Amino acid sequence: MQALKMLLRTWRGGQLGLIVWSLVLAVSVVTSVSLLAERIERALTAESSAFLAADLVVRSNKPTPQAWITEAGLQGVETSQMVSFASMVYHQSDMHLASIKAVQSNYPLRGLIKRSTTPFTFDESLIEAVNYGPAPGETWVDARLLPLLNIELGDNIELGDTILKVTQIIVEEPDGGSYSFFGARVLMNWGDVAAAGIVQPGSRVTYKYLMASGADQNAFTGYSDWLKDQLSIHDRLITPDEAQASIASTMDRGRRFLLLAGSIGVVLAGIALALASHHFAAGQTQQVALLKSWGIPASRVRSLYLQQSLWLGVGGSLVGLSVGYGFSELLISIVREWLPIALPNAGIRPWITGMATGLLCLGGFTLPALWHLPAQPPLAVLRQDIQVAPVSSAIRGAFGIAAVAGLLLWYSNSVYLSLAILAGFALTALATVIIGLAMLRLGKNYGQRLGSIWRLALNNLWRRRSQSLIQMVGFSGAIALLMIMVVVRTSLIDEWRFQLAEDAPNHFLVNVAPYELDGVRDLVNAQNLETAGWYAMVRGRMTAINGQPITEAQKDSHESFRRELNLSWTAELPDGNKITEGQWWGEVDSATTIAPVSLEDEIAEELGLKLGDRITFSVGGLIFESEVVNTRTLNWDNMTPNFYFLFPEGLLEEYPRTSMTSLYIPPKQKLLVNDLLRKYPTVQVIELDKIIDRIRTIVSQVTRGLEIMTLLILSCGVLVMFAAVSLSMSERLQESAILRTLGSSRRLILGIQLVEFSTLGIMAGLLAAIGAEAAVVMLQYFMFDLPLALHPWIWVTGPIAGGVLVGALGVGYSRKAVVQPPLEVLKSL
Amino acid sequence: MIEVSNISKQVSTTEGTLNILHEINLSLASGESLAIVGPSGSGKSTLLGILAGLDLPTAGSVSLNGEDITAMDEEGRATVRAGHVGFVFQSFHLLPGLTALENVALPLELQGDKDALKTAAYYLKRVGLEHRTTHYPRQLSGGEQQRVAVARAFACRPTILFADEPTGNLDTGTGEKINDLLFDLNKEEGTTLVLVTHEHNLAARCGQRLVLAAGRQVDQTAPKKKAVVKKTVAKRAAVKKASVKKTVIPKAKVKAKTRAKPKTVAKAKAKPKATPKPKAAPKPTAAPKSKAQGSKR
Repeated sequence: MQALKMLLRTWRGGQLGLIVWSLVLAVSVVTSVSLLAERIERALTAESSAFLAADLVVRSNKPTPQAWITEAGLQGVETSQMVSFASMVYHQSDMHLASIKAVQSNYPLRGLIKRSTTPFTFDESLIEAVNYGPAPGETWVDARLLPLLNIELGDNIELGDTILKVTQIIVEEPDGGSYSFFGARVLMNWGDVAAAGIVQPGSRVTYKYLMASGADQNAFTGYSDWLKDQLSIHDRLITPDEAQASIASTMDRGRRFLLLAGSIGVVLAGIALALASHHFAAGQTQQVALLKSWGIPASRVRSLYLQQSLWLGVGGSLVGLSVGYGFSELLISIVREWLPIALPNAGIRPWITGMATGLLCLGGFTLPALWHLPAQPPLAVLRQDIQVAPVSSAIRGAFGIAAVAGLLLWYSNSVYLSLAILAGFALTALATVIIGLAMLRLGKNYGQRLGSIWRLALNNLWRRRSQSLIQMVGFSGAIALLMIMVVVRTSLIDEWRFQLAEDAPNHFLVNVAPYELDGVRDLVNAQNLETAGWYAMVRGRMTAINGQPITEAQKDSHESFRRELNLSWTAELPDGNKITEGQWWGEVDSATTIAPVSLEDEIAEELGLKLGDRITFSVGGLIFESEVVNTRTLNWDNMTPNFYFLFPEGLLEEYPRTSMTSLYIPPKQKLLVNDLLRKYPTVQVIELDKIIDRIRTIVSQVTRGLEIMTLLILSCGVLVMFAAVSLSMSERLQESAILRTLGSSRRLILGIQLVEFSTLGIMAGLLAAIGAEAAVVMLQYFMFDLPLALHPWIWVTGPIAGGVLVGALGVGYSRKAVVQPPLEVLKSL
Repeated sequence: MIEVSNISKQVSTTEGTLNILHEINLSLASGESLAIVGPSGSGKSTLLGILAGLDLPTAGSVSLNGEDITAMDEEGRATVRAGHVGFVFQSFHLLPGLTALENVALPLELQGDKDALKTAAYYLKRVGLEHRTTHYPRQLSGGEQQRVAVARAFACRPTILFADEPTGNLDTGTGEKINDLLFDLNKEEGTTLVLVTHEHNLAARCGQRLVLAAGRQVDQTAPKKKAVVKKTVAKRAAVKKASVKKTVIPKAKVKAKTRAKPKTVAKAKAKPKATPKPKAAPKPTAAPKSKAQGSKR
């Protein structure tokens, strides 16, 4: 209890402020980000499940075996079945090739269906969310179907041999992207399928078997594992992450950024803690000498400081946990709008992570700084020149790095992220020590030619070079870490904005015949809409690989072997495509008998194809051979047409072809789709507007969350700078007070401080750019899948920001030397 | 009480070995007072540090209450300090984050005294600061801070009090008051007092005087005659007895008092052997340069 008493008194005396705030900030940053990331992770899993309308789905061209359903029942797993197919629907003389989905009564297992009785409405008050599908005899339809068939709600439509009453308009389905076909959507009851008589053996239908976990998650996991062994080549297991790769990718990037921000925050707070501890320890030497002069043995002194550290660690961590919780609630309140369900609880892991962060920070940063204190000789009470040397900087640095590395790895669970941050910081620190010393010397030499303020200031920096270097490491480390975060955040947001610009394409028009092309173009132009360009393609089928005909087994193994593929041609490598193997083609002789072909790298892997393999294609009955000359990656997020198979120009143009494009159709002009389909019924329209809107909403909310995290991390950076500034402050104040007693003006004294700190800040900013650039390159490539780019602007803004921030902090802190009477300043020191 | 035998202190510097002290001898009985005087750099504080067990001599020995502290390790010396020694410093050495009461109580709390605050309050009242107990050092004048330091030193009931230029940072008037306080409390508590000072009149108030010049013992005032000593001792005992009846003394102090009671007066030791110029030596101590300023020694 004596230790606690001493700690509280020290806190009351104001000596612990910086240490406590650094500790609280470190713990609160880690806790808030962990809580947020954990809850978002759980919500994302639930959201992803909503995209599947289940926790797990098996897609097949065969009906679901009864054995699976029976086993699920035994394991307490909830199941549902659905089937999708294309079929004509009729109303009197009007007809339309619709996309039909028949579902059981317990669909969806996850998520909700939004429906309305008002077509084309965006008014939320007219939209209802339900967790069941249409009843037998009823159907819910896409609003587009009403003008296509000239019907209204309450009218009947014919589907096969059955008649269904249109009772609701589908606004949104949880698995809205799951339609395999491209007509207007029609949702019907599973029980009406038999009566319709449409699904016959050999019909082209897609069955889906939906599963959802009950109360027992372990049972669900066990059932999933059992099911995987039952799957045949006709079946494909779909997990929530695969269901909506775009959203998962967006959220994953957002989550990684949160982790990055949190990691940087922890490192910054750790640096602040290290600096504050160093400063605190320097002020404790006299107290320790006094205690020892009273006969307190070194062992008891060590015990007292260890106990105080423990109390500090636990107390600071508890406060940090509370602050972190409050902050996470603030962040969650911002992002809550896009989460359709209540956020689940985070579990215990974030709390443990927060508490461990506090204790680890203390062990790695504070204890090494205090370790030497018990060895302080008692004679120091009589001779202040006697001071025990602190633990060497190298050892303290090693402890600090170990603590940071451990924290980063545990917290982020990412080796790349940890390495990138450590590398960035280490490079910055190294550059500071090596180049920084040279800069200080240069400054001192050059300063001789300048006016008195500059001369004195630059001389001071050189004179106090050890301290100046420590401060520079603190400043440059903080600036580097902040720059890393700002650059990555800006890149992420720019990338999202580019992909999801307000007018980013949200519809694809496919299968436009050559004789329809002009008419479709005119229809689009008449609406003042622009396309992303027209891409021609032919439909072809693989018939042989390396001279061997495609086998039934191969056809069963991958749908690309059994169906027609879209083959296109281009002279240049398309935007967003990147060669991974092989070379792009130059001029190709149109008389060549073996056409070069470029494959998308994932499909090449799935099909077992590599460079040099020969593929025989059949296009409209005409056979030609091709050779794989390169593979490439695609950018699926830019909403422009992409092709798995590309050929050079001049080889396929004579084959029967169609064209496709993508364009942005505003909600108010949505009926263009109806006009298009009415005039050109063979044109296929792929609607992505709903999913893009959803992604855009999520991204905007996530962006707001990231902005707030950025502010929090910036405050950590300011804390580090403040700690670094305070290191030399008592000596500076003393000097300034003495200068004032000798008659120096305020202008001179403040001018010296301004030049000293600004110069340190500018140097630190420049050095920070080195480490930041290196770290950002690593992060962009390994963590965020962002295009690699250098950032010249940080080489300018870094020094400017450093000079301004550090200069302002330093002058602000040292103002009291010119405001208060010198004697008061000296007495207070 | 304090027996010093031929202590010397040398330190290694870049310019060779520096003799800070050379064969110092002294003997101080319990309850006596000793002033160590000399010009700046003569080794006064070094000697004080060695006597207090804060430092070790290069040669010679020091005994406190019959215990040879120079033969002990730092833990052992710490134990002796905890039991017997108190300090008053020139720069007060108050902890800025503690109130006056807490500063006085701290050493007692660290020794496990449950009545630490009560004892501290008593001594603060004794030094006339009963209305300033909740004030921090920055709110106190220099004289008040030194009074707190004096209270802190005596609160631990030391048998030996070491004071290093106790009025060095104070003006003359304040310094005199502190000196009076120091000697009054010293008399009441029966503490052996060793102080380092530049001040001639302060040194004159002490029973013995040791003059240092360039690390050598130049002069030591002879102890008072036996009869006078006996009378002084008897008078002191009477004063102490009276003070015990009058004042409220917390329990812990009773024990300490019993322990500290000296039985006999130690005799003065023989003078140092080689003093070729006892009289002809200049009297640097007779002309202190300035009273209040300077902390160089």
